[in-house]
Amino acid sequence: MAASVRDPEEAKATPDFPALSELLWQLADDDLLIGFRASEWLGLGVHIEEDIAFASIAQDEMGHAMTYFQLLEALGMGRADDLAQLRPVSERRNSILVEWPNGEGDYAETPHFDWAFTLVRHFLYDQFEIIRLEGLCQSRYAPLAEAAAAILGEKAYHRDHQQLWLDRLLTHGAESRARVERAVAQAAQLAGDLTDLGPWGNQVAEAGWWPGADQAGARWQQAVESFLGRYQLAPPTWSCPGNGRRGDHSPHLDAALAVLSEVYRQDPLAQW
Amino acid sequence: MDRLTFDIYEVFAQTDPLAPHQHQFSLLASSPEMALALAQENFLRRREIYSIWVVRRDAITQSGPAERARFYRRKKGYRTTEDYRYLVEKWRRYKQQPMTPETMV
Amino acid sequence: METEREDPERVEAFLQRIDRGERIEADDWMPADYRRQLIRLIAMHGVSEIMGALPEKEWVPKAPTLYRKLAIMAKVQDEIGHGQLLIRVAEDLLAPLGKTREDLLDDLFSGRLKFHNVFHMPAPTWADAGIIAWLVDGAAIITQGMSLSSSYAPYVRALQRIVEEEGFHIQHGESICMALAEGSPSQRKSLQEALERWWPALMMFFGPRETDQATSHQQANLRYRIRTKTNEELRQRFLTKYVPRIRSLGLVPPDPTLHFDAEKGEWVYQQPDWNWFRQIINNQGPRSQARLTLKHLTYEEGRWARAVLAQA
Ligand SMILES: [Fe+2]
Ligand SMILES: [Fe+2]
Repeated sequence: MAASVRDPEEAKATPDFPALSELLWQLADDDLLIGFRASEWLGLGVHIEEDIAFASIAQDEMGHAMTYFQLLEALGMGRADDLAQLRPVSERRNSILVEWPNGEGDYAETPHFDWAFTLVRHFLYDQFEIIRLEGLCQSRYAPLAEAAAAILGEKAYHRDHQQLWLDRLLTHGAESRARVERAVAQAAQLAGDLTDLGPWGNQVAEAGWWPGADQAGARWQQAVESFLGRYQLAPPTWSCPGNGRRGDHSPHLDAALAVLSEVYRQDPLAQW
Repeated sequence: MDRLTFDIYEVFAQTDPLAPHQHQFSLLASSPEMALALAQENFLRRREIYSIWVVRRDAITQSGPAERARFYRRKKGYRTTEDYRYLVEKWRRYKQQPMTPETMV
Repeated sequence: METEREDPERVEAFLQRIDRGERIEADDWMPADYRRQLIRLIAMHGVSEIMGALPEKEWVPKAPTLYRKLAIMAKVQDEIGHGQLLIRVAEDLLAPLGKTREDLLDDLFSGRLKFHNVFHMPAPTWADAGIIAWLVDGAAIITQGMSLSSSYAPYVRALQRIVEEEGFHIQHGESICMALAEGSPSQRKSLQEALERWWPALMMFFGPRETDQATSHQQANLRYRIRTKTNEELRQRFLTKYVPRIRSLGLVPPDPTLHFDAEKGEWVYQQPDWNWFRQIINNQGPRSQARLTLKHLTYEEGRWARAVLAQA
């Protein structure tokens, strides 16, 4: 494998750079959207103590996004906040799974959020993020490897939290079990693009930006299905109404970005 | 409608290996595992965490108001260094430095 | 609970403990009236933290930068955390009456339990989030600082944690407000407008000035050393601390009469509309119903999940 690259200029000069930037967009956009969705729950949690715990998860994800956007900024792609807030939908590379709303309704007016879906979706994402980060810890791009190691440290808590809840819901009564089953079925129809590596997929692993990228999808599917199997849940058929990794998103992303950037857009050059 | 009842867990945490477990606060949870998962973000958002204990409140035997009154005791200077302050002056007479907790070890 | 006749000697001995500056614990004997006053105060404080998270919560997903998004999330999370601490203290006081957290929240939704008047106000711009964190939290820390000398130890233990976090809240608010004050004309304008919007609420924050006949609740709370200062003392303290700082940022409080009367040694200010205040605390404020609906709706929809947690 090629030697480690630390300097952003050097990274930009490599022929495989498009694969690295593509990967960073996926990382940054995934965490931005999952963090945004989790943040909509703040103040509305099913239980006061839980509201607080989940708020930390939301912060962690948003913090991860900030780190990735800063890596992109260091690579001369623009200012982190511009990248997070001003890029058009067609340039977004997050999975459709993470842009999907928590449920019906506006978070500030009359939200009808689905806690089971929120947990299942986040759990699916956690599983993938952990596998991805484990590979990224060995990334040839040293700043990314260092960021991945730091971020990975926070992920065990997220996955454990989601699993603890799902375990409880799946083993304490038919109603909550049915809710989780519905949520799994719904999420399965959205998560099909999660493991897609995008247009530069082959180079991501080959160039060493993300060692193990080529096996990540299979590992993720296996981990998820073995978790579901523990509760006698059949492996779902994974599909997706588009492909976020290739810029083909649902209308929910437009709506999410409009909210997320509402204030910043008023004056992107101002100090906030 | 049925009232839901939760268990109350008392939360204790140690911020580093040499610190004692200190009581933080209490929370409502469904199981010890859930209490543990909730405790860290409920009470230790800005602290280092080395270890957390969660204990169901009803498993704690605690002293009550009567014991609080009985915990009173008179001052016992002979149990402390307080009664030995005069040694400072004595050592001075022997032209020696009195020992302090730092110089003793 | 049946208010069984309390032994006057026992009550007297309790009041002597209060006078000696002793702290009362949850398992100490206490007069039913002391318990009632504590529940009233602490439950209201607790649900005010929970409801108080809502105006700022509106700005959580919208906060202008990634950094502000993180900081306001942490801030609002803390407020819910304050609610958790206080509601736990209230629950332990309610337990001997056979009541739980659910009863407390039901009382909030039915209007029997009030939440603080300041949190019934709209927060239509990002600048409002700054003013809330700076000035509303600034006012709250004055009340909470006073309550650190309260006679009820579990309340004080909760407040110690709360006051520690308020330091971060106020600086978070100062940072937002200063950025806007130093920013573009439209940013400055939005900050001034937010100040104007919140000013009456801030003047009402501590409640009406006490007259010669303070309410029986106020008298009881002072007697029990649940509180130690009057509304007006707290408001004067707020004005002393914040008016110069507000003005130093080029902001103008919307009260032409506002000044410090050196002779009287106190701030003179225009009385807010106390009739409006009474409407607000009865959930007739501009955002009272909307916020209660939001909280109630999500609380009801989360019931199934709580039921799963509550099962043995
Ligand atoms: Fe607070
Ligand atoms: Fe606060």
